[in-house]
This record gives sequence, structure tokens and C-alpha cells, in this order.
Amino acid sequence: MRWLSRSYLALVYLLLYVPISVLVVFSFNNSRTGYSWGGLSLRWYESLFNNHAMVQAMWNSLWLALTAATVSTLIGALTALALHRYRFRGKRMLNGMLFVVMMSPEIVLAISLLGLFLLLGLQLGYVSLLLAHVTFCLPFVVITVMARLAGFDERLPEAARDLGASDFTMTRTVLIPVIMPALMAGWLLGFTLSMDDVVVSTFVSGPSYEILPLRIYSMVRVGLKPEVNALGTLLLVFSLVMLMVSQWILSRSKQ
Amino acid sequence: MKKLALAGLLALGLTGCSSDDPQVLNLYNWSEYMPQEVLTRFEEETGIKVVYTTYDSNEAMYARLKLLDESAAYDLAVPSTYYVSKMRNEGLLLPIDRSKISGFDQLDSELTGLDIDPDNQYSVPYLWGTTGIGVDAADIEGEPVTAWEDLWDERFEGRVNLTNDMREVFHMGLRVLGYSGNSTNPQQIEEAYEKLTELMPSVRTFNSDAPRMPFLEGEADVGMIWNGEAVMGKDSMEALEYVYPEEGVIAWLDSFVIPKNAKNPEAAHKFISFVLQPEIAALISEDIGYATPVLSARDLLGDEVAGDRASYPTPEDMVNAEFQADIGDEALQVYARYWEKLKSGL
Amino acid sequence: MMLSIKQQPFRAAVLVLVWGWLLFLVLAPNMLVVGASVMTRDPSTFIALPLNLDAYRQLFNPLYLEVFLHSLYMAAMTTLICLLVGYPFAWALSRVEKRRQMLLIFLLIVPFWTNSLVRTYALKLILATNGLLNSALMSLGVIDEPAQLLYTEGAVIVGLVYLLLPFMILPLYSVFEDLRQDVLLASHDLGAGRLATFKNVIVPLTLPGVLAGVMLVLLPAMGLFFVPDILGGSRNLLVGNVIKNQFLDARNWPFGAAASIVLTLTMALLMFAHRLSKRRLGEEGA
Repeated sequence: MRWLSRSYLALVYLLLYVPISVLVVFSFNNSRTGYSWGGLSLRWYESLFNNHAMVQAMWNSLWLALTAATVSTLIGALTALALHRYRFRGKRMLNGMLFVVMMSPEIVLAISLLGLFLLLGLQLGYVSLLLAHVTFCLPFVVITVMARLAGFDERLPEAARDLGASDFTMTRTVLIPVIMPALMAGWLLGFTLSMDDVVVSTFVSGPSYEILPLRIYSMVRVGLKPEVNALGTLLLVFSLVMLMVSQWILSRSKQ
Repeated sequence: MKKLALAGLLALGLTGCSSDDPQVLNLYNWSEYMPQEVLTRFEEETGIKVVYTTYDSNEAMYARLKLLDESAAYDLAVPSTYYVSKMRNEGLLLPIDRSKISGFDQLDSELTGLDIDPDNQYSVPYLWGTTGIGVDAADIEGEPVTAWEDLWDERFEGRVNLTNDMREVFHMGLRVLGYSGNSTNPQQIEEAYEKLTELMPSVRTFNSDAPRMPFLEGEADVGMIWNGEAVMGKDSMEALEYVYPEEGVIAWLDSFVIPKNAKNPEAAHKFISFVLQPEIAALISEDIGYATPVLSARDLLGDEVAGDRASYPTPEDMVNAEFQADIGDEALQVYARYWEKLKSGL
Repeated sequence: MMLSIKQQPFRAAVLVLVWGWLLFLVLAPNMLVVGASVMTRDPSTFIALPLNLDAYRQLFNPLYLEVFLHSLYMAAMTTLICLLVGYPFAWALSRVEKRRQMLLIFLLIVPFWTNSLVRTYALKLILATNGLLNSALMSLGVIDEPAQLLYTEGAVIVGLVYLLLPFMILPLYSVFEDLRQDVLLASHDLGAGRLATFKNVIVPLTLPGVLAGVMLVLLPAMGLFFVPDILGGSRNLLVGNVIKNQFLDARNWPFGAAASIVLTLTMALLMFAHRLSKRRLGEEGA
């Protein structure tokens, strides 16, 4: 029985990794037409870096993801703290709204925000993208932080309060360090979600701020561009590094 | 706090590349419709950076332009004839200052001064071309394909590619029935719709991003394809042929227009002038296979390109050809309804 | 342990920020969508008065209903496959030694962290007529001619499964983790055979996980429009494609909004079912 379940696991993992391996292998394929092997070559990586528009889109995406993750972590953490610590009216409604964002199909989120931005006459570009990305990252940060807060000793903030600390000070010196791992996890999740987003970005982006997923989308739609393999491989390596860094940080912080 | 400051500095560094370059041209064009070399040379010669985004249909371009109307996103777009008149009539375009562009007099007079824009106040022709039948000669058996009607043949079930273009697909449907491809008669349009539904089981792909791809990928053997795509495709696949259908090929013209709220109309004019230069126009035609309207450029074309019937058809090829004309908004709505029905009925 | 004393200004600032963001960027936009769905289409301003239910009527037109049902069918198939593959996987994963589990979960998430567009494109390389799968099958002698795999309904489903599988596995893994060994032992001691245990103990206890997985897969499977674009040849469209076309091509906003509302209601239905299952579980106890 054990053998069966182990081999089943192995099989599924194999299937999951075949497409990615294909991508990596073919990124070094010298042949122009994707399907035949033409020898090892780095030409697609070269062509990628010579493509100014692509490089610009990469930087734009990175910056967007960085800022979106940071802002959403900030607001998300405060939201989680508020939900956990404060008593106020409409808590259920707040929870409800977060839930709606998380569970809504991305496309519904996308059109609702597009409608809002148009109504406000907001130019579609970096700002619209940032607002949209922070919004869909928010619930994930909140959940991550709340999970951390749930298993946390309430006596510490109590003690701080008894010692006369203000709310702000107490939050800063006691709570923040406690939820720090959750903050980092939330930040990383937000960063990934932002870098990967296609659906929402299709609706709320403008040509003044080109982002990577949309570039990739038009490349992939035309099809058979070996540069996509190289790009995919780079993104994979990048994600791997990010994941490993996050694991390392989390394991360090547990000490 | 320190982290935010650090992030801020990083931001300045990251966005540094684009912020010191003040001149940007936002060009919105069909995909696979502009050689990278042209953009690079333009950037080098003028120092203006080109932000290049693409669309795969007039409808998508129009919708996006309308969506971003206020925010002045694009400086140049390349609509087909009937959208030039539509956008012109709706006041969406900026008049083109003839004094700021050079080379206009070099254009084929048959392609200027058209009804869609008399005096070419709002548009300058870019490329003209045809939509005909693409055939993977190596993979089909039996009778050669010579007419649109052949696509309905049972032997092609599941192997047909169509362009993802409402007017073109219906144009084909109308021609097969003997009607004009520019028909505004709802009865005829409905008949074309019925005829096209019969074709649907055969259709493997709708592709306007790069119609040559399904052929190159071996997924489609026959279907609609743009002539330039066929020329480009032949480079990778010898067996890909371009056939002028008996009922008549579809002919069209794409022109540059400047949206009303363009941020950088100066750059737009410069780009148009740049592309009208015979040397550049010839380069474009050779690279992507469509026919240039610049007469002096045609003299610069290599024999192989100038003699390629796909790019430059003979009068015999064009005997039943029909140019896409403006049909008015009302008719467009009728087409749109049936197109949605066609695409939805899977 | 809640701070109910009004400790301004920090608390006030936080609440303003949080409420403000959510009201502005969640409540208001969603209200707009509801509103748009009952307005009339307008060529220049996209939506206009008068209010009417035309958009919904159009939605229930047999033609669009067919698209919706076909999309639902593909999403359901995707969910089913994810369930069939993911359920045993999650069970097997939860039985592995704790130390190895972390690594295995890491390995599971890595593909998920790769750009979804690129992963979908990779599938194209595999499913194409002269792609890897066909080449492999032909060289093994399993088939004589390449099979038409790309640009079919099946290709879209494969794409969706590939992108959404981790969303099914993770909640399932979570409930399997909670499934205490002693409960299973108790069932066994009470004389229940393997099958009976499975049917009467394991299934009900893992049901919330199943429903959570279904929720996380079914809805996105209807909305990921780029999958049919890349793998479906712009055929086999999902509801997401329809909504996108209505908003960005056809400019029929009320219709697009109505379709989105229907999608959201489907989600609400599923959530309700999920909550019911959890409540029932709570009553019967574990």
C-alpha cells in the first residue's frame, strides 16, 4: 500500500514538472522552430536582454510588485490587527468584504475596478494597477497575519498596557515583532500574485506603464517565440530564489 | 521607515531609465505588422522612444481607444478603412498636418482620396493587402483548393483556420452566396450567418494574432489568411501557399491615424514621415510581405519580393476582388449580432 | 482581551484607513457592477439610463446560456479531474513523514510560483501536432498519426487542471492532516471494513476540504480567459472570455456586468454549501 501511494505521488509530481522542464530545456535550444532540437545556445537569452521593451516591462513589473506587496502588507497587517484587537461596529461587514475580494473570480474584480476608475476619470497606468493589485493581495495578508495572531499570548500586550504604553507603542514594540514572519509570508505572497497577474491587469492597465505579464501574453498569443522559453526559465529561477529566501527567513525567525 | 526610504531610492534607480527620456511615441498597431528594425532605426534617428502595443482586431483597437479616450494614451493607431471613416465621423481623430509629413505625394493615387477620408485629412495609408486562402499543400489530398466554397469540404473537418475578424469572415460567407462582401442587407447577412454555421464544425482555430501559426504548427491545413502572413509563413514552411479564391479575394487598406487626445502628435507626424521614406517602406514590405502604397518604394524592391504574387497580385488575381468599404454603424451592429451568435454557438 | 477603550488617534487612523480602502475599492466597485448590469448599453458612455433587465434577459437567451453551460461543463470537468487526482494525492501526502512533508509541499508550490502564462505556453509545446507528446507516442508506436490535441476542448481542460491543481490539493491536504489517526482506528475497532470506513468516516470528515477545493477551482476555471486564447484556438470559450469580450471588444457593459453577477452568485451558492457542510460536521462531531 505504501509503495502504491509513494509511486502515485511520484507520478503526479512528474506530470507537474514535465511542462516546466520542457520550458527550461527548450530555452537553450538553438533551433528557431520550437519543436526540433538544434543544439545548445544562449541566443534567446541574448535576444531577450536586447529587447528594450521587454526589459522595461520587467522593471515595471518588479517595481509594481514591490510596491503593491509593501502597501498591501501594511494595510493588511493593520486590518488584521484591527479585527483581532479592536471592538467596533460592522466587523462582520469588514470580514465580509475581505471574503468577497478573496473569493470573487478575478475577472469580476477586474471589471468592478475598471468601472470605478473610469467613473473617477483615473488614468489607467501605474496608479490604477497599484490600487488593483493591493486590493487583491489584501485578503491573503490579512488571513496570514490573523492566523499568526490567533495562536498568540494575549498577556504580553496586556502587560504592556498595564505598564502605561500607548496603543501605538504597544503595537509597535510587541505586536509587530510577533507577526513579523506572517508579514514576510504575506509580503512574498503579495509579490508573487502581483508579478503573475494577467486577468486583472488586462483590464486596468494602460500603455504608459507596460508590465511583463501583458507583454508575455501578446508574445504567447502570436506563438512559437523561443524567447518565451528563456523568459519562462528566468522567471522560474527568480521564483525559486524568492521561495528559498522566504523559507530561510521564516526558519531564522522561528529562533 | 528605513525600509521605505530604501525602497524609495531603489524606485528612483529602477525607473531612472525612462524618466530622463522626455520624448515617447505610443504606437498602437496590429500584431506582426511592423518590423522591429523600423522601430529601432526610428529611435536611433530621432531619439524618440517607441512604446509599441498591439491589437488583433479593429473592434479591440476601437474599444480600447474609446476606453482610454480621456487619458490620451495613444499617439498613433492603424485602423482599416471602414474604421477610419467610423472614427472620423465620431470625432475621435486629430487632423493630420500635411505640412509636417513628407512623402505623401509618393503614395499611389489609387489609395488616396478615398471616400472614407477624402483629402486624407485624418489618415495616411500604411499598407494594403488581401485576405485569401492559405493552403498547406503538403498535407492536403485530392482536388486543389481554389475557392472559398472549398473550405466547406468535408475532408477539411477540424482543419480550418479563420481570421478572428467579423467583417472578413462574413465577407467570405456573403461571397460564397454570390452577394457583395460589403452588403448592408440584413436578409443577406442572415443567410451568410446560416452558411457560416455549417462551416463551424470544420473550424479548428480563430486566429488574428498571427494567422500563419496554426498552419506552421500543423494544426490547420486550409483557411483564411492574410497575404503578408502567408509570405512570412512560407519562409518557415515551403508548402504554405497563398491562393486567390475564385469568388474573389478580400482587399483592404490600413492607415495611420492620430487619436484626438494624443500626447505627442509631433512624434506621430515624424513617424509617419519616417515610414513613408522609400527605403523604409521597401524594408517593411520585404520584411512582412504586405504591399506598400509608396510608389517609389516599389522600385527599390528586390525581384523576388516584387514578383511575389502573394504580396503584389497580378490583375488576373484581383479580377473578382472586393475592397472592404464602409458600411455604416447600423449595418455593423447587424454583423456584430450575428458574429456573436456564430462565435458563441460552439 | 479586546481594547474597547477609545485609544485615539492610532486606532482611529487604522480604522479609517482600513474601512476607507475596503469601502472604496471593494464595496463601491461591486455596487457599480450591480448597477451597471441593470442599465442600458450606450456607445459613448458605455452605460446609461433607463434601468432595465435587458442584460439579464440577453443572458438567458438560449445561445448565451449554451456558452455558460459549456463553460460550466469544462470547469466541472476540470474540478472533477483535480478532485480525482488531488484527493488520493493529499491523502498520500499526509501519510508521509513529517520532515519530508515540508519539502514535498515546497515542490508542489514551485510550479505554482512560475508565471501561469508561460506554463500554459509550455503545454502548447507538449500538445502540438509536432509537439512532444505526439512525437513520444509515435516513436513508441502507440499511434501512427499525430493526434489532434491542441486547440480542442480537452486542451483547455488540461490547461486549467495544470494551473489549478494545487488549489485543490492544499485544502484537501489540510483536512487530511486534521484527520486524526485515532478516529480511523476507532472506526476499525468498531468493526467497520475499509470501504465502510471510507464512506462513513473519511468522506464526511474531508467534505469541507473537498468543498473548499471545489470552490477554489470551479470559479477560476470559468474565468481564466487566457487558457482558451492560448490552448483553445479562441474556441471553447469560458464565461471569462465572454465577459472580457463584452467589456473590451463589444463594449456591451451591462451584459458583461450581468454575466459577472451570475458568476458571483454561483460562487455565493458554493460558499453556502461549504458553510452548510461545516455546520453539519460540527454537529456530528469528530
